[in-house]
Amino acid sequence: MAIEQELQAAVKAALPELDCIIGWGPGPDALRDAPLFLRDAADADVLRAGFFSVNNPALFLPEYKGRKIGVLVKGCDARSVGQLLLEGLVRREDLFVIGFPCSGVIDAGKAAALIADRCEAGELRSVREQGDSIVLEGPDGAFSLAKKDVRADKCERCLFPNAMDADLFVGEKRAPFAELDEYADLAAFEQAPLEERMAFWEKEMSRCIRCYACRDACPLCVCRDQCVAVARDPHWLSQADGIRDKLFFQIIHASHLAGRCTGCGECERACPMGIPVLLLKRALSRRVETLFAYRAGIDMQGRPPLLTFSLEEPRIKERDW
Amino acid sequence: MAVMQGKELRIVGFLCNWCSYGGADTAGVGRFAQPTDLRIVRVPCSGRINPLFILKALTSGADGVLVSGCHPRDCHYAEGNYYARRRLEVMRGLLPVLGIDPGRFEYTWVSASEGQRWQHVVEEFTKQIHALGPIGRFPDAPELASLGLGAG
Amino acid sequence: MSDRSFTPAFISFKALSGWLRALAQKATVHAPRREGRAVVYRELGDGQGLESFLRPTESAKHVLFPRSEALFSFQRQGEAAGAASGKIRLQEPEGEGPAIIFGALSCDARGFLSFDPVYDGCGTAQAVGGIAKDPYYLRRRANTSIIVRACKSALNTCFCHWVGGGPASTEGADLLATDLEGGLLLSPCSEAGAALLEHPDCVPALPEQIAAAAALHAAAERSLGEAPPAGELAASRAALLALFENSEFWQRQSAQCLSCGACTYLCPTCYCFNITDESNGIAGARLRSWDSCMSALFTLEASGHNPRAAKAARLKNRVGHKFSYYPAIHEGRFSCCGCGRCIKSCPSSVDIRKIVLAAIKEAAHV
Repeated sequence: MAIEQELQAAVKAALPELDCIIGWGPGPDALRDAPLFLRDAADADVLRAGFFSVNNPALFLPEYKGRKIGVLVKGCDARSVGQLLLEGLVRREDLFVIGFPCSGVIDAGKAAALIADRCEAGELRSVREQGDSIVLEGPDGAFSLAKKDVRADKCERCLFPNAMDADLFVGEKRAPFAELDEYADLAAFEQAPLEERMAFWEKEMSRCIRCYACRDACPLCVCRDQCVAVARDPHWLSQADGIRDKLFFQIIHASHLAGRCTGCGECERACPMGIPVLLLKRALSRRVETLFAYRAGIDMQGRPPLLTFSLEEPRIKERDW
Repeated sequence: MAVMQGKELRIVGFLCNWCSYGGADTAGVGRFAQPTDLRIVRVPCSGRINPLFILKALTSGADGVLVSGCHPRDCHYAEGNYYARRRLEVMRGLLPVLGIDPGRFEYTWVSASEGQRWQHVVEEFTKQIHALGPIGRFPDAPELASLGLGAG
Repeated sequence: MSDRSFTPAFISFKALSGWLRALAQKATVHAPRREGRAVVYRELGDGQGLESFLRPTESAKHVLFPRSEALFSFQRQGEAAGAASGKIRLQEPEGEGPAIIFGALSCDARGFLSFDPVYDGCGTAQAVGGIAKDPYYLRRRANTSIIVRACKSALNTCFCHWVGGGPASTEGADLLATDLEGGLLLSPCSEAGAALLEHPDCVPALPEQIAAAAALHAAAERSLGEAPPAGELAASRAALLALFENSEFWQRQSAQCLSCGACTYLCPTCYCFNITDESNGIAGARLRSWDSCMSALFTLEASGHNPRAAKAARLKNRVGHKFSYYPAIHEGRFSCCGCGRCIKSCPSSVDIRKIVLAAIKEAAHV
C-alpha cells in the first residue's frame, strides 16, 4: 500500500529526532496489527497503518511525558490526543503527530462471525487489503469480505477520519462516511422496556471477569494504578463476583469519562468477553453534546464542560416544582 | 396522607448542609407533615456530591434519590451548586441506558427558610417514586447472597 | 494413567444432550456456550447446541477456583453485637457437590496440573510436613471430572506443544471426546471417566471410529506451528533469571502491555488470589478472589512501597513465574499450558512466546 510506504519513509526521516515512534506492526494473528514501538530505522520496514491498525496509540502517550516521541494516529486516535492535550496530560511540544487518511478499521468480532462457517479467525494464514475488500487466506483457500461488512461501528459514524492537528499528514484527506452521529444505536437500545435494558446488562455483565482491560485500554483512563475501583477506602466495589459490582465499575468508568470520552471504542474492543461497554459512555457523550454542544477531542476552545459552569445554563431545563 | 397508605419505599436524599438541610429542619420545626420514605444524608455542599453516590444508591436498592442544594447564586461556597447542576444533569443521561427510570432521580434547590417548599418537594417526589414502585435490582454476588450478606 | 485399559465408547450427537442431562442429575455439568462474542462455561441447560466444537474464551479454572468464594462467614453474637468484646460466630460455607466440565480443551485440563502442587501442600513440605493444603480447592478437585474435547485444529496463538501438551492430550483429563462424523468418540482416561460412560446411549466404539479419531488427532497435531526444540525452551529458566536486573529488556518487552488482567484471568494456570473481608453491619465474609500480578496492587505493601510499581516489573514477573521460578520448584514443569489465550485475548497483542524466546536469545548474548 502506497500510504504505508510513504509512512515508513516519513517515520525513518523523523526517527533521529525522537525517542521512539508509536505505530502498528504485525500482530499475533492475521486480523489485527499490534502496537509497534519504533526505535531503529530498520524497524520501520514492518510498520503498518491501515484497516487492521485498530489499537489506539494515544493510550501510551502519558507514559512518555517529558520525552519527545512520534505517534501515528487515525482520526479517532487524534481525538484522544486532542483530549489529552486539552487536559494537560501530554504536552504538544513533546509530540510529533503523523496523520494519514483512515478508511476505517476492522471489527475482528464481526469478521470472525462472518467466517465462522469456514474457520476461526486464528486459523487464517494471512489477510490483506484490496480496495474495498479484504482478502483472507484460510485453511481451505482464499476468499474475500467487503470492508463495509466488517468495519467497526465507530468508523461508520466517524466524522473525523483525518487526524486533526498533525505535524505531518501523509496522503489525501478523505470525506467521512457519516455526516452526523445521531446516536442511533442508543436510541434503538432505549426503545426496549426498562426491565429489558436492565436484563441486558445483567446478562452481558455476567461474563465480566474483572480484568479491567476496558479501563487499561482507555486512553483517557489516566489514573492507571490509582484507580478508585481497586481502592479499599473508599470501598466502591466489593471483591465478590457479583453482577452489580461489575456493572458498577462500568458506571464508574463511564462517569469518569463524561465529557472526556472521544468514542474511540477501545474499552469495548479490549474486552475479552465481548461486553458492549461503549454504549454507556455514548449515553453520556450524547448528554454532554445535547447540554453543552461539546464534543471531546474536537472542541479545543475553552474548558471541558464539567470543569466549568455558566450562571445561566440555556440548555438545562430545571424541574419546576 | 395518600402516599403513606402504600408500603414505604426507600428514598435517599443528599442535602447540602447550609441550605437544604436547614430547609428540612425548618420544615420539621414548623411541623409540616411529610412522608417518611426519605432518608437524609447531609453533605457539605451539593458540589460535594459525586454523581456516583446517586448511582450507587439506585443500584443498591434505593427506589429514588433526591438531591437538594442552595439556590443558584446562594451557594455557601459560591459556586458548588453550579458544578453540581452540570454533573447531575449529565449523570441523569446514564439512567435510561441502565434501565433505570430517570424519574427516580431529581435535584432541586431549597433554602434554609423554605420549610414549606421542602415539604412540597418531599411530597411530590415521594408520590413520584410511589408511582414508579420498587426499583428493579441487579442480583447479589452468589457467595455473599448464600450467606445472607447481599447489599442492602 | 494409561487409557489402554479402558474401552472407548461412541455417542451420537442426537443422544449427546440426553447423556449430558443424565450426568447433570448427579453432578453440576459445566459446558461451553456462545454468548455474544465470547464462549463461556455455563451450567448445562437443555444440553442443546453442544454438537459443534466450541473453543471457550475463558479457561475452566473457575470451576475449581471460583473468581471469588467465601472461605467463611462471620457474625457478631448476642447483646454485645458490635462491641469489640462480643463473641463472633464463624461459619463455613457448604461445599458444592460433584461437578463435570464438558468440552474443556486439552490445555485446560493440563492447566490444573499447575494448580495441584501449589494447593496440595507445596513449599511447606520441609518446613511443616506439607500440611498447608488448600481444602477448598482440593475438595473441588477430587469432586470434578473433566471431559476434554480434542481440538480439531490449532490456532496461530496455540503453543501447547511447546510445553508438553497437544490437541488431544489426555493429561489431566478423565475422558477424551473426539468429534467424528455423527457423534463423539469418548475415550476414558481414568476410572472416573469410565464411570461417566455408564449410559445406554454410550455404545462401544468401532475399531474404525477409534482409527478415525487417531487420524484426526494426528492432523490437529500437524496444524500446530513449529515449536522451538525442547532443550532450547528449557533455557528460559536460567535466561529469565539472568535478565532479572535488565530493566531495559523488560521495558522494551512491556512497551505495548496495558497492565490489565485479561491474560492472567483467562489463563488456565494462573492461580494467585487475594483475601479480603467484606462486611455489612455485624456480619461479613472472608473472601478469596482472583488476583493478578499484572495489577499494581498485587505487590503494594502496607508501607506504601511497591516493589513492582512499573508494568515492566509486573510483566517480568508473569513471564518469569511461568517459565523460570515455577519450573525451578516444580520439577521443571512450566506454569503454562500453551493455550494461547493470553495472546489471543490480549487487547494489545502481547505475545508471551516472543518474550520467552527473546529472553533466551538476549541471555545467550550476554
